Amino acid sequence: MHSSTLRTAPIHLTRTLQHPSFTTARSLRPCIVAKWLQSRRLTTASPRTQEVIPLRKHLKDEAKRKKAEVKRDGNVLSTKQTSDSRLDKWELTVGIEIHAELNTACKLFSSAPAEVSVGDDGGSANSRVAAFDAALPGTQPQFQIATLLPALRAAIALECEVQRKSGWDRKHYFHWDQPNGYQITQYYRPFAKDGSLTLGAFDGVPAEDLNGAESITIGIKQIQMEQDTAKTMNVGSSTYHVDLNRAGMPLIEVITLPHIHSPQTAAAVVRKIQAVLKGVDACVTGMELGGLRADVNVSVRQRGTSGTGSSYSGVSGLGQRTEIKNLSSFKAVEDAIVAERDRQISVLEAGGVIEGETRGWTLGATETTRLRGKEGEVDYRYMPDADLPPLVIGSDLVKHLKTTMPMLPDAVEQDLEEWHGLSRKDAKTLNEQDNGDRVEFFERTASFLLAEVGTFKSEVSTGKERRKTGKLVGNWVLHELGGLLATHQRSWDDVRVTADELKDILVCLHKNQITARAAKQILAELVQRQPAPKGPYWPSMDTRPSVEQLIDAGNLRLRPLSEHEYEKLAKQIMDASPEMVKAVREKGQKGKVMWFVGQMVRQGEEGTVEPEKAKVVIERLMDG
Amino acid sequence: MLSARFCWRNASRSCQVYRNSHSIPQQLNSIVHDGRTEPGKSTDAPGSLSGKTVAVKDNIVTKDLPTTAASRILTGYVSSFDATVVQLLRQHGAIISAKTNLDEFGMGSHSQHSHAGAVLSPFSRGGVPLSPGGSSGGSAVAVATGQCWAALGTDTGGSVRLPAAYTGIVGFKPSYGLVSRRGVIQYANSLDTQDPTSLSATVRERLGHKGADAKRLRIGVPIEYNIDELSPVVRATYLRTLKALQNAGHILQPVSLPTTQQALSAYYVLAPAEASSNLAKYDGIRYGYRTPGSDASPKNNSPLYASTRGEGFGEEVQRRILLGAYTLSSEAIDNYFIQAQKVRRLVQRDFDKVFAQPNPLLDRQTGAHGDDGGVEVLLTPTAPTLPPTIEEVKQQSPVESYMNDVFTVPASLAGLPAISVPVRINGKEADGLEGTDVHDVGMQLVGQFGNDELVLQAAEVVVQSLTSS
Repeated sequence: MHSSTLRTAPIHLTRTLQHPSFTTARSLRPCIVAKWLQSRRLTTASPRTQEVIPLRKHLKDEAKRKKAEVKRDGNVLSTKQTSDSRLDKWELTVGIEIHAELNTACKLFSSAPAEVSVGDDGGSANSRVAAFDAALPGTQPQFQIATLLPALRAAIALECEVQRKSGWDRKHYFHWDQPNGYQITQYYRPFAKDGSLTLGAFDGVPAEDLNGAESITIGIKQIQMEQDTAKTMNVGSSTYHVDLNRAGMPLIEVITLPHIHSPQTAAAVVRKIQAVLKGVDACVTGMELGGLRADVNVSVRQRGTSGTGSSYSGVSGLGQRTEIKNLSSFKAVEDAIVAERDRQISVLEAGGVIEGETRGWTLGATETTRLRGKEGEVDYRYMPDADLPPLVIGSDLVKHLKTTMPMLPDAVEQDLEEWHGLSRKDAKTLNEQDNGDRVEFFERTASFLLAEVGTFKSEVSTGKERRKTGKLVGNWVLHELGGLLATHQRSWDDVRVTADELKDILVCLHKNQITARAAKQILAELVQRQPAPKGPYWPSMDTRPSVEQLIDAGNLRLRPLSEHEYEKLAKQIMDASPEMVKAVREKGQKGKVMWFVGQMVRQGEEGTVEPEKAKVVIERLMDG
Repeated sequence: MLSARFCWRNASRSCQVYRNSHSIPQQLNSIVHDGRTEPGKSTDAPGSLSGKTVAVKDNIVTKDLPTTAASRILTGYVSSFDATVVQLLRQHGAIISAKTNLDEFGMGSHSQHSHAGAVLSPFSRGGVPLSPGGSSGGSAVAVATGQCWAALGTDTGGSVRLPAAYTGIVGFKPSYGLVSRRGVIQYANSLDTQDPTSLSATVRERLGHKGADAKRLRIGVPIEYNIDELSPVVRATYLRTLKALQNAGHILQPVSLPTTQQALSAYYVLAPAEASSNLAKYDGIRYGYRTPGSDASPKNNSPLYASTRGEGFGEEVQRRILLGAYTLSSEAIDNYFIQAQKVRRLVQRDFDKVFAQPNPLLDRQTGAHGDDGGVEVLLTPTAPTLPPTIEEVKQQSPVESYMNDVFTVPASLAGLPAISVPVRINGKEADGLEGTDVHDVGMQLVGQFGNDELVLQAAEVVVQSLTSS
């Protein structure tokens, strides 16, 4: 049932083998000390080698997996079915804690820069460390007010109530990645509380969870600010180097209520929170680049009962929960929950009791592993930090930020769907790619195109035209351009084609001046060519050709055939393939018509045959 | 700040006594790093303190001299920056002449718990040196024996005032927050001091108004400080001081500070709790002492850094870290740390009720609104007894030695300015005192938060009243 797990595992392994330095730089080797630390759950360095899975691929894989499951469900003895029947009896409940690095210029409590500055020596280890970050004696934290801005944007985007007064506590535990011996956090006095997140089918929430509704709402318990830890690098077999550049970087932790009832929805929540945080410029990097980490709390209860009567933050009647720490990809979130749910059900069905414990999960595993039970829990000895005054946030600041917030991903996608006529799936894909650059490219191309081809006769017709051109541009930006970038293994930063050029191509296509085939050819050509030189003063041989020039050079302009010429070409092909004609005429295999259309496009002179017209002609001749 | 300024006459007499009985100040072990021997030192920088030598307690960081806080764990540590107080002294022309010995990280009342060895008072009884008081004992002895013009100490629960009282000099603790704490190695940071710029504008505005008239002070005499343990000589000196003030036209007024009894217990819950947190940074990784060999034993399930910290910290520091770790633990925090914080609030409220001036830190109006109108300063003994000998100190249990702070801790919990001034033991009071014994009793003046200047003025008033009577 974990076909997707099996799929990713080898990739992960190959990477490990190919880039040993990559992994060693980020995760601890299982030497004795590290093992011991892990057993006490003291390693906070997370494995950061997770592959990036684009949403489209993720959705495709999901669809494939579901198909496979449906197939297998035909088999009476399938494990899937037994697990399904168990799920009829047991209900899963999940709450998530997400840690994300804030997009700021400096650390949380020191003026040390958060980012490598231009002209710096490449950001070498321990180059961005203030005296406080290294916990030198006699140093004190100084809250950097600017770090509050991205945190507040996150809180507003997640519809939280910003607290006028919040405070800082010290959370103690010994580890070399934490120089002061404690982390400063707002766990008990967070700056934002009582938010919510709304998700629909297009966010990946399964139909069972939606239960007929358009969307579900997941409560956000709180958002708190806190410090990040240093990075540990393994040198040799038993030597660790500590890089304090990350120590003291500002994080936010988003804690949801236990409102989640399926592994897919849990992954969708993490994905959506990431999209929202990125969308409002609160965070820099995504989950799968290590900028986001999640802990999940999992419990099960028999449907219709109130579990063991456990409760969390006002949600009661739950089963005993366990916590799985340090998940650093969406896949890991989903798979870990599936595994932990199944384990808990098995334990309960065998008459056992679930212990409140902390468990771990490694990518590709089929079971979570116990890290420590209640008795082994670290007592963090929370204590207010007397060096820091309470954080007081004025309502005027919150108000100002609310009015200057960037559009949330949901709003952008809705706009793409309703205004530009894209499907929700395409809208989502477009929006989630390349940090919004691709949406911007799309919007520019679409507005240029509409300006040239729109008739603007009435409001209604303009809306129709806009959605039509929108859909066309959407297809080309997402699929054609996307496909070309994939073929040439290029990133969006190196796309080279301008919105103006794509508009020129699409204008010609829209006006039936070129065929789609020719349009693709021109686009491919432009993707390959060098970008236009910056200065207009020295026209050189390398000057980038215009779309018009390319059409002329390639003799691609559509020269419409007369009705007679179409028929002549069609008859010629039909005569050469009597078997195929027979199949269409006698066996009624209408699909074969398209084969003839293809032949006509191929055999006709470049830029002369339009598939739609060819189809009409073939069908008429077949009938006749 | 410890200084002999207000009582130069007394101090010189003390020095005389000391010089007659001892000859080598090094034997007193008051100094851990001597700055005057350092080469390339400018001795005549301009400024109001030009040429004045100031010794600095070794838990205040300096760039040119090592800073160890008298702990093995900071072996060889040299700070990359000067503490703000050190910067200011240098800017005004002072010469940082030495780093002085102390109880490790400031944890102690007799300056006996130091990795650099115990500090001895210049005074003795029956041939046994007296306790110099702690934790700023090194600074106090350096001042009392004329090794410097003045010295910096730190005061968390009485660490400046107690040594001043025990060595016959003046010791002043400012309001919490008025003197920058940047560069002061933290012990219990909510009880030490903090950068004044972090005080809000309103508080500073309120601090601007000082209406007291030092010529006719209303002096509060807390009834709870008249305890059984008060030794006859301290009680007699105290009464004589009060009479002298009354004769000089000042008004005495009995006041009640009912939470005084709980204050000491609260202090010894809060200070170790903060200490356990503040000292968590000493792990031997980035600086200071580190155990030879591995510092974690998975086989024996020994925690990370156990060896380094076990070897690097002295017994008293370990005791307080353990105490603090316990009182902060999830099963104990409600009964200890939280309760102690509540007591602390009550102590502050006690003071607010007796002072005429409202507490500028609170938004709601405080202050004595009764018929008597409240007092401007409180006068108490600094310690209940004369200093014990170091032999007696050795016999004391830790809890007994904590008792020395009973009169100094309440002002610390409330963050109030307080000063200890020496009052000469007179005539009959000195019966039975050896010539080598200390001949001063420390008297403590406490003012409302921010009234530091008034407290200093009141200290002069005390000295003058006694001189003229």
